This record gives sequence, structure tokens and C-alpha cells, in this order.
Amino acid sequence: MPSDIIAAGYAVSYTHTRQAHHPRPRPRLGRLLLIALTLAFLGVFLVLPLLAVFVQAFAKGVSAYLGAISDPMAWAAIKLTLWVAATAVPLNLVFGIAAAWAIAKFEFRGKNTLITLIDLPFAVSPVIAGLIFILIFGANGWFGGYLRAHHIRVVFALPGIVLATLFVTLPFIARELIPVMQAQGKDDEETALSLGASGWQTFWHITLPNIRWALLYGVLLCNARAMGEFGAVSVVSGHIRGLTNTMPLHVEILYNEYNHTAAFAVASLLAMLAMLTLAAKSFLESRQPQLRHAVSQPRDRTRRQQT
Amino acid sequence: MIPAPAAATELKLHKPGRILPGFGLTLGYTMVYLSLLVLIPLSAVIIRSLGLGWSHFWETVTAPRVIASLRLSFGASLIAALLNAVFGLMVAWVLTRYTFPFRRFIDAIVDLPFALPTAVAGIALTALYAPNGWLGIWLKPLGINVAFTPLGVVVALTFIGLPFVVRTLQPVLEDLDQEVEQAAATLGASAVQVFLRVALPALWPAILTGFALAFARALGEYGSVIFIAGNMPMKSEIAPLLIVSKLEQYDYAGATAIAVVMLVLSFALMFGINALQNWAASRHQGR
Amino acid sequence: MSIALRGVAKQFGEFAAVENINLDVPTGALIALLGPSGCGKTTLLRIIAGLETPDEGQVLFDGRDATLWPIRDRKVGFVFQHYALFRHMSVFENVAFGLKVKPRRDRPTTAEIRSRVYSLLELVQLRWAGDRYPGQLSGGQRQRVALARALAVNPDVLLLDEPFGALDSQVRLELRRWLRRLHDELHFTSVFVTHDQQEAIEVADSIVVLNRGRIEQFGVPGEIYDLPASAFVHRFLGQVNELPVELRQGRAYVGPLDISLDAVATTEGKNIALIRPHEIEVGAAGAGWSATVLAVRVIGPIVRLLMGAEGQPANEPLEAEISRERYETERFKVGARVGLRFRRWKVYPSDAVDHAWQSQS
Repeated sequence: MPSDIIAAGYAVSYTHTRQAHHPRPRPRLGRLLLIALTLAFLGVFLVLPLLAVFVQAFAKGVSAYLGAISDPMAWAAIKLTLWVAATAVPLNLVFGIAAAWAIAKFEFRGKNTLITLIDLPFAVSPVIAGLIFILIFGANGWFGGYLRAHHIRVVFALPGIVLATLFVTLPFIARELIPVMQAQGKDDEETALSLGASGWQTFWHITLPNIRWALLYGVLLCNARAMGEFGAVSVVSGHIRGLTNTMPLHVEILYNEYNHTAAFAVASLLAMLAMLTLAAKSFLESRQPQLRHAVSQPRDRTRRQQT
Repeated sequence: MIPAPAAATELKLHKPGRILPGFGLTLGYTMVYLSLLVLIPLSAVIIRSLGLGWSHFWETVTAPRVIASLRLSFGASLIAALLNAVFGLMVAWVLTRYTFPFRRFIDAIVDLPFALPTAVAGIALTALYAPNGWLGIWLKPLGINVAFTPLGVVVALTFIGLPFVVRTLQPVLEDLDQEVEQAAATLGASAVQVFLRVALPALWPAILTGFALAFARALGEYGSVIFIAGNMPMKSEIAPLLIVSKLEQYDYAGATAIAVVMLVLSFALMFGINALQNWAASRHQGR
Repeated sequence: MSIALRGVAKQFGEFAAVENINLDVPTGALIALLGPSGCGKTTLLRIIAGLETPDEGQVLFDGRDATLWPIRDRKVGFVFQHYALFRHMSVFENVAFGLKVKPRRDRPTTAEIRSRVYSLLELVQLRWAGDRYPGQLSGGQRQRVALARALAVNPDVLLLDEPFGALDSQVRLELRRWLRRLHDELHFTSVFVTHDQQEAIEVADSIVVLNRGRIEQFGVPGEIYDLPASAFVHRFLGQVNELPVELRQGRAYVGPLDISLDAVATTEGKNIALIRPHEIEVGAAGAGWSATVLAVRVIGPIVRLLMGAEGQPANEPLEAEISRERYETERFKVGARVGLRFRRWKVYPSDAVDHAWQSQS
């Protein structure tokens, strides 16, 4: 009978309990060790490089730092970077909103493929992103002859840089908006329409306020990447000082000239941008917790639209 | 109640069955934008390489220098992703399970590699690991050279990939049902046994997904690597750099060929990651 | 193994979950921790298990101070309210888990593990389910697996946290009886938490009634039901009618009925009398306090009568329970006039207001 076995087991274990019961102290130590190890790892891997940027930037003193930043070439790079971001971000913003609207509010075949296509730039190495525009607009490219004939410069000029940046930052805003808009469903918009609002009114007064945190978040990340993009822009720009150097490229040039302090000085501006981005990111995430971890995380494709 | 005039207008503008407006407009714009910016340019690479002819393509791609660079990119990315899987798991676990001072700050800083421009990361890491750098100074007597060696590539790629594993694991860890671990403890399992037998099996899909993401990112990485790598052909030259070199020499054919190989790898990875995500999601929802 | 709690207290932030708990559970007893939600019963159970550490006091296992022993050394089997089965393991592997993680020298052989797991599965009538996964089982089946898993390592004590809370009422009834039978066969010490007084009364040897973190009463079910120590216990176990007590010429009255004989509480201040439905005697019109029958509900072997007593507000009817036989004899109808008398009652100060259904802050 099964209970006999169990009962017999009890008799045996009872004697065992009396004899061999020596409990150990709580494993607080393991926990502390793990925390210490993590802090050490993150400290060495993340904090040190950040610190290094600033220490190196000020290695020759504050006046050298300011001199490096106010150097005309550096200024040109800063202005170019800002221009590129100011062009690329709004364009991708419009795209992101349009794509998110189509995907989140409607059902259609091929939706998943579309989402995959939007994510495509993430899978492409930045260098290849630059290469593809050279293949099209470069001297030997598809439109090479045409452009030369009309004296239009795309690669090795601002348009090329903008194109490459557009490519690389394309997914950012869309992938923040899509899950948020999907989660919000169509109810609010349908209500607005039934009350007589037009499509634009609905979008402006109903949809936009609902997605504002996700929108800001996407713009924030898009901008950070647009200003910091290196590989793609490097290929497409031709490294022409004063003309087609963005800040990251300028940093590279200074560094390769062994002007380390100046390189780090310009880099420190970008590092400050990164820290601002992180702080703003943290703030936005506290406003809309749904955004947390959406950044480097894959999209949940199994999410179904709310009926 | 829809006022009559508006109703008439609404009906005019929409396809039957679609209540919200703007489908045609937004989808059309999206498709055009995507095609112009992504699809057509990417196809340029494919078409260009097709123009090479198969034998030429194969010859280019199997040149020793190319193979060496691909091997380095692939191998270093793999090692870096593995390191990230291990350390990322540790970081995610500590951030989710324990409380300690500055936890929120540390949680925010995990995204640094994601927010920091790659060139800045590149020169910072080089400064740290160069023989006279803050860390390089300690490693030199041990015979470990990081800067300008393949090891430097691994270090840079580990830096880049860290947020991917941590951020993929955190939500899964947060959702983990702690009662199951407590049950295992009441049954006599030690902390290690609970982790290995109960927690880890539930985390595998997320770990693999994070690993794949970090790997994919590392494969194409350029800016943070070229400063610390040394860039010596056959030794410490990554594939993206080789593409740039060929471009600078106007060897478009060569550059395109290598790009195609990398694209094929990346897309294969992307499909793999999709499959992993679906697997992870189905496990997650099976609760 | 006997369990003793001495002066146990635990706070969560500002909230005192349990205070001043003193309890003795003898070896082999089956005890229920009963109380409304928020009363601290689950906290207490978890303190015994080692899943929480008390801020004050001691937990003694067979007289030894186990207060700080880590979970895995306590040899307690814990069955969670939501089973906490290992989803990625089969039923067999779930039950075998405790045996497989034993240190090498204590670990049984694979064959021994197999036989033990299968005999346990047979005990819980799930031998056929060995290869299934928890996701494929019903709630009641999962609960039995959780039980088998906890029993596999021969715990000294079995602790169950609202074990049948998440199940259908029919399944609940069956499992209750089955747990009682199991306990009678195997004689392990067992403590279970429930908010269902019926369950506590049916299953347990003794009941600990908890309210707001304190023990209100500890005794056998009959005792607790018939001799409640406080108004809370009186209200919580079973139904009660509450009626104000008036003092007239030095004697205590409920309505027109003189109850001075058993007036226990002080004569100062306001008092209330608690009377159980079956302690009201319903007779012919002149035989006591006049009342009108408002509603009649026949429920199997008993009949419930709702009555508006003279002098009582209309929205506070009295509820009486009489046997089916008596109802067949008297045939009380709605609107009929009856006379009420109390067989038993208990008086409490009315500021000892501790309604069992009051929510915890």
C-alpha cells in the first residue's frame, strides 16, 4: 500500500531528523559578492570609459579644452552635426508616425513583413549603409553620370550624409510608436470620428496626446543616433574638413593626427549629449513605464490588435 | 450620432470596412519612403554584386585577407556575445533581485553603450587599454596586450553589446514567479540548485535572444572597434574596415562582394532572432 | 515534530502583520489558521516555513530555536496557493525534485527515487500523469501534484497556504476530505491557512482564529463555535444575529426578553447580544417576542426564516434556522405571526466592534 511506504519513510526520516540536523547560516555573503562583482564589472566597463573621455579632454587644462571646442573646424563639425540631425529626425518622425498609424490602426496582409522591413536598417552594418548610397550616387554609381553632368553632389556632401543618417536612424521612432499605439487600440479614434472629427483633427487632438511620451522617446533616441553616427557617415562623407565632417568624424581626424586632447574635447561634447540622452530617457520611462526596455529589445510580434 | 453631412464625407473617403481614415495615405507614404531609402539602396548592393559574375565573386570573397577579416569579425563577435550573455545575466539578476544604493543610476547607465556615439567609445576604450592607459598599465606586466590586438576587438564588442542582454533579460526576470523558487527552497535545494534547475530553464529563451542581438550588433560594428583594433590586415582587421579600405581604393566590386556576405549573415541572424522571439513569447504566454 | 511560537511579531513597513503570537502545535496535529484577509495568517505560515523572518520572537521546532534557520534546512513541506509547480518539468520530475537535489550522500538511488515518486503519485491518484506537464493538468490535479511533491522529502511539517482556494467548490470538498484522510493515515504535523470557516471546522483538529495580526482564540472547532472568546470570533464563525441590549430596572433585556441570566459583559455602556440562527426558538404567536415571518427559504435539511421582530427596524430582520422536521410540523408561512425565544446568547460590549467583514486598513 502506498501509504505504508510513505509512513515507513516518515518513521525513518524522523530518526534522521533528530540526529543530523545542522542548519547553516544565511547566505548573505553570496548576495553581497554578486553585487560587488556586478558593480566592479559595470564600473570598469562602463564608468571608466566615460570618465576617461572627460579626464583626457581636460588633460591640458581648461583653456586648451575651450580652444579645441571653439576651433573653426570643430565649430563647422558641430554645425554640420546639428544640421544633419535637424533634417533627419523630422523626416523620420513623419515616417514613424505614418508607419505606426498604418500598422497599429489597420489590419492588412503583409503587416509582419512591413514591420520586419522597418527593422532592416538595424541588421545592416553602418559601413554597408554608407556603401549602398555610394553605389547609387557615387561617381561610378547608378546616377553618377547624371549627377556629375548636373553638378549635383550627393556623396561627399551634405545630402549624402543626410541620406546615410536617415537610413541608419529610420526604425527608431517607428518602433517606439508601434507597440504603444497598438496597445491603445482604436477606441479613442473611433469615438472622435463618431463625434464628427476629421481624420487630421482626430490625429492631432486624440492620437498625438496619447502617444506623446513614446514620441519624445523615439525622437530622443533617433537624435542621439543621428548625431553620433560614425560608420555610415564616414563612408559617405569623404572626410572633407570644414565641409563634410560631422562631430564623430572630426573626433576621428583629430585622434588620427595625434591631437588626442582636442579629440577628447570634442568627444566630451558627444559624451555629454549621451548623458543627457540617458537622463531624459530615464525621465520618460518613469512617465510611461511601458517604454522601459523597449529600446534594445525585440518587438513583440505576437501582439494582436485589440478588437 | 454621426451628423448627416459628415457621414457622407466619411463614406466617400474610406474603403469599405475601414472606419479610420488615412490608411491609403500612411501606408503609401510608408512604402514609398521605405522603398526609396531602404529597399532600393539595399538592392543596389545585390544587383551590383550579381554583375560580378559568380566566379569573380567567389574569388573575391575567398581571398585570404577577406577570410581573415570575416573570421575575426565573426569570432570576436561570438566571444563578445558569450561574455555579454554571462555578465549580462549577472547584471540583470542583480538589478532585478537586489536593492543597493544607486541602483536606479546603475540601471540607467547600462544603456550607455547604446547612447554613446561609437567613435567616442572607440577612443575612450583605446585610451584605457593602451599600454600606458589606466587599465593597460595593469595588464601589461601580466603580458596581456589589449589595445591593437584582436583582444581589443573583443573588449570593444563586449562594451557595445552589453545593453542587449541586460534589457532583454530584465522584463523576463521581473515576471519570474518567485514562489516557484521558494518552493524549490522548501524542498531542500541550495541557492545554486534553485538557480540552475528552476530559474535558468525559464530564462533560456531570453538569454539566447539577447545573445543573438548582441552578436548581430557586434558583427557590423565599426566605430568603436577601429581605434582599438590596430587594423593590421590578416591580424586585427575587421570585415567592415576591409570594406572601407576597398572603397578607398575604388575597388567597388570587392567592397560589394564582402558587403553581400555580411548582409546574408545579418539577415540570417535576423530571421533566427525572430524565431527566437516567437519561441520566447510562446513560452512566456504559456503561463 | 512539534512547533512552538513565542512572542512572534512581524511588521511590513508601518503595517504590523502579526503581533505577540504565542502558539503550540503538538506533533501530529492538523491545525487551521483561520481569519479574514489581511489578518496575518499567511504571514504566520511563511514565518514557520522560513519564507519570512520575524522581527521579534522565536520559532521552535521540537524545542530547538529554528527562528533563523534558512528555508532549505527546515524540512517543511510547503504547498502554495497557486501550486508553484515547475512548469518546465514533468509531473514526475516535479515530485522527484526534492529527492534529486539532496546532497550526494543522502541521495536515494534512481530506482529508489522512481519507486517513491510513483507510490506518491498513486497516493494522490495521479499515477497516470507522470509524463504530463503541469500545463496539461486541471487545478485540482496540480494541487495534488504540489502535495505529492511536498511529501516526497518526508517533511517534518506540512504547511499549506489556502490550498483549495483556487478550486471549484465540488473539487474543494473532495480534496478537503482527502487531505483529512491522508493526515489520519500518515500523522504528519500540518498547518493550513484558510479564510473559509467551514473548511477549518471540517478538516482541522484545532483552529487558531486570527484577527489583525493577533490570535483571538485557539481551540477545537466545537469549542470555538460554542464558546467564542470574543465578539470577533463569534461573528466570524457561523452566522449571528446582533441585537442591542437594554437595561431596565436593573435587568438586561433584548426586546421584551429578559436575558439577565447569561449577561456576561459589564452593565456599563452599550452592549449587544449575539445569537446564532439555530439558537432562536420559533414558536406560536404568544410564546415570546412577537415577530412576523418575512421570508422562508428551504435549504436541504434546514429551513431559514427571516423575521421582523416587533420593535426592531424593518431593515434588520432576524434570521433563524429550524430543522426540516419542525418546519413540516409548523408550516410557517410568509406573513405568519410567531413568538421568538432565545435558547442561548452571549453579550459583548458594543464598542468591541470588530466586524469580521470590516476591511483591514
